[in-house]
Amino acid sequence: MLTAARTEPFDDLDRLSPASLDQWWVRKLKRVAELGFDELAFYRKRFAAAGFHPTQFRTLDDLRAIPISKKEDLLAVMQNSRSKFLGVKSYTAGFDVRMTVSLSSGTSGTTYVVHTRRWRKLQGYSSSRAHWWAGLRPGTPLIMSAPAWHAYASIQPSIAMHFKNPCVVVSGTFLPRFADRIVDAILAFRPRFITMFLPMVFSILAAARRDGTSGEQLFAGVETLVVTGAPITPGMRSHLQDVTRVKRVAEIAGSSENLLAVDCIHAQGLHVVPDTCYAEVLDRKSGRPVPDGQRGSVVHSSVIPAGSLYLRYDGGDAGVIDRSPCPCGLPSPRIKLLGRWEDCFSVGDNTLLPYDVQFALETEVPELRGTALVITREGLANGMLRLLLAEPEGSAASLLDKAKAKLSRRFEVPVEISAVRDLPLRFKGVPPILSEQEAASAA
Amino acid sequence: MLRSRNLAECRFYRERMGADARPMPWGLAELEAFAATDSSDPFAGRVHDGVTPKVSLQLEATTDPSIWIALDPPELDRWAGVIERMWKRWGTAPGEAVAFFDYGCSPLVLLASSGYVGYLRRGAAERLGLTAVCNDGVAAMAGRMVGIVEALEPSMLIVRRDLAVPFCLALESAGTNLADRIRWLAIAEVEGCANRREADQLSARLGVKVWRILRSDAAFLIAGECAGCRAFHLDGEYFAEALASGHVAITTRFAQLCPAVRFDIGLARLINGGCPLEPRAQRVEC
Repeated sequence: MLTAARTEPFDDLDRLSPASLDQWWVRKLKRVAELGFDELAFYRKRFAAAGFHPTQFRTLDDLRAIPISKKEDLLAVMQNSRSKFLGVKSYTAGFDVRMTVSLSSGTSGTTYVVHTRRWRKLQGYSSSRAHWWAGLRPGTPLIMSAPAWHAYASIQPSIAMHFKNPCVVVSGTFLPRFADRIVDAILAFRPRFITMFLPMVFSILAAARRDGTSGEQLFAGVETLVVTGAPITPGMRSHLQDVTRVKRVAEIAGSSENLLAVDCIHAQGLHVVPDTCYAEVLDRKSGRPVPDGQRGSVVHSSVIPAGSLYLRYDGGDAGVIDRSPCPCGLPSPRIKLLGRWEDCFSVGDNTLLPYDVQFALETEVPELRGTALVITREGLANGMLRLLLAEPEGSAASLLDKAKAKLSRRFEVPVEISAVRDLPLRFKGVPPILSEQEAASAA
Repeated sequence: MLRSRNLAECRFYRERMGADARPMPWGLAELEAFAATDSSDPFAGRVHDGVTPKVSLQLEATTDPSIWIALDPPELDRWAGVIERMWKRWGTAPGEAVAFFDYGCSPLVLLASSGYVGYLRRGAAERLGLTAVCNDGVAAMAGRMVGIVEALEPSMLIVRRDLAVPFCLALESAGTNLADRIRWLAIAEVEGCANRREADQLSARLGVKVWRILRSDAAFLIAGECAGCRAFHLDGEYFAEALASGHVAITTRFAQLCPAVRFDIGLARLINGGCPLEPRAQRVEC
């Protein structure tokens, strides 16, 4: 009899039932809420305004009484206070000057995330769990894939030490022009597990190709390729498997503000990493939880009682949640981040994310999966979907005609597709919305 | 210090052993030439065959072939100690922050905190009670560096030399004056050091003390300019010798796994002791 593959538990937390995990989360979240109330004026004021007190916290439903915070709220605190840091960091273990601070940048501004030693210890353990789920095992060299300014840099050392993995530090920074250095690192140390920002994967494949090394040769011996930094569609996952010949391509979704989720072997959504955060997906208007599979705002609460505390933080991501039992046996619900609300656009009667366009394209015309594309502003302004598509190798014009017809039928809007000679590799995986001039100058 | 017998177990040194049982001085060119003969060895013959180092760092100063250096955890800690003492000489106080505008992979950054590299027990910032913050070391992030200066109020800045001008322009554009905020700023080249005139010009432009760092990752060399004599003071972890060619060679005492013996830093003047601020320190002028 066939049985579904199960995830090997990292520790007893992975063996809890979903109901027991909920109870565990209640205890952890209550502790963080108490800490926020006791130590941080930011949360004390917000709790008071909402009529909430941590003693009222008894079930996960009680979490909804805590007001949602957004980046704008944190930026306002920074603006208005004379404090060096945001008002959301805790010194539970005593004032620890030996902190590192990482940056959370975006279109709206930069905020600062505090990492104390205690935070690094707890987050490091939790992130080791996440990487275990993704397939990391002791022994393999670990290529450091995040520069020191990023929050991931603060946990990679802990992960390496947890699994006793040798650390391989690549020179340069993680921009495409340094891709050849990552290629050198992979070829020299032959890791079995690689974590990489999605756009960098294509840059390193291109850099290897320039040296006459195929994707298969580059990734020989790699058992798991974990991509992060962008949501991948099923077609993108299989495209990556095709070009690298890596058996398992996994996705990690994370943020500097302690959101962390990883997909299991079934790759049907990303399991929330329970000792990092608790996640909700809420209706954008009502703020109420959406049914499973329905799109909403991803709001998370950190369960780590140290460093910067994020309680019901809306990082601006759109996503879905699935609370049904996963055949892998892990008890935490699965989420899937689909993109940023700020990238959301309307065309015809559709409200779409770039992810939707890519998903539709690969679903309707599987031959085009993994193709870089741009959604043009001019098209949207004219009520149509106009795409610039990097000319797929050896493709016929009929393929683009087919895509045009199928997308037009699917979205019920006029669709135009132009093949362009080249698009930057950074556009692969996450189609940007650009003017034609921006797209031309980027190419 | 490594014995010559142990040193000869490393292929790179075995071929360089002189009649006096010491390796001939070498520089990056010799290392690259050796690496080109065996592309399968990332360490260019400087690490014993079969050893798996806990930490390997890719040299930024060499590209083709790619060359790596390696350390074990205690060596990593001793290297961080070099940075700790360099900063201490320039002046720091517990509770202050040090900010970096450099690549995260630079040893100047990595060795600051155990949060930046695995197996480092205590980074330089942790030893001195400092908070560390790193901005990505590309010119496009100069504006964000100004934001860090304004929001986090670091007292010390470490800036990659090629980012000094973009940083100045961003400061001027934002109207941010460093003079009242910063204790010191240090500039570092990937290999070697910035010239003194450039540092002085930067100091005049920003209104803060600017110190130079002498760096050569192949030899694990990091040395800071002295506030008194303006020469580079060598930490006790290094031993320098003057060569007949007028060059100076450096041997790094803590480097056992990937030895750095008689690394030629080029034309320089070696001064043994004599600076009132650190009377016994070996000093290098270059």
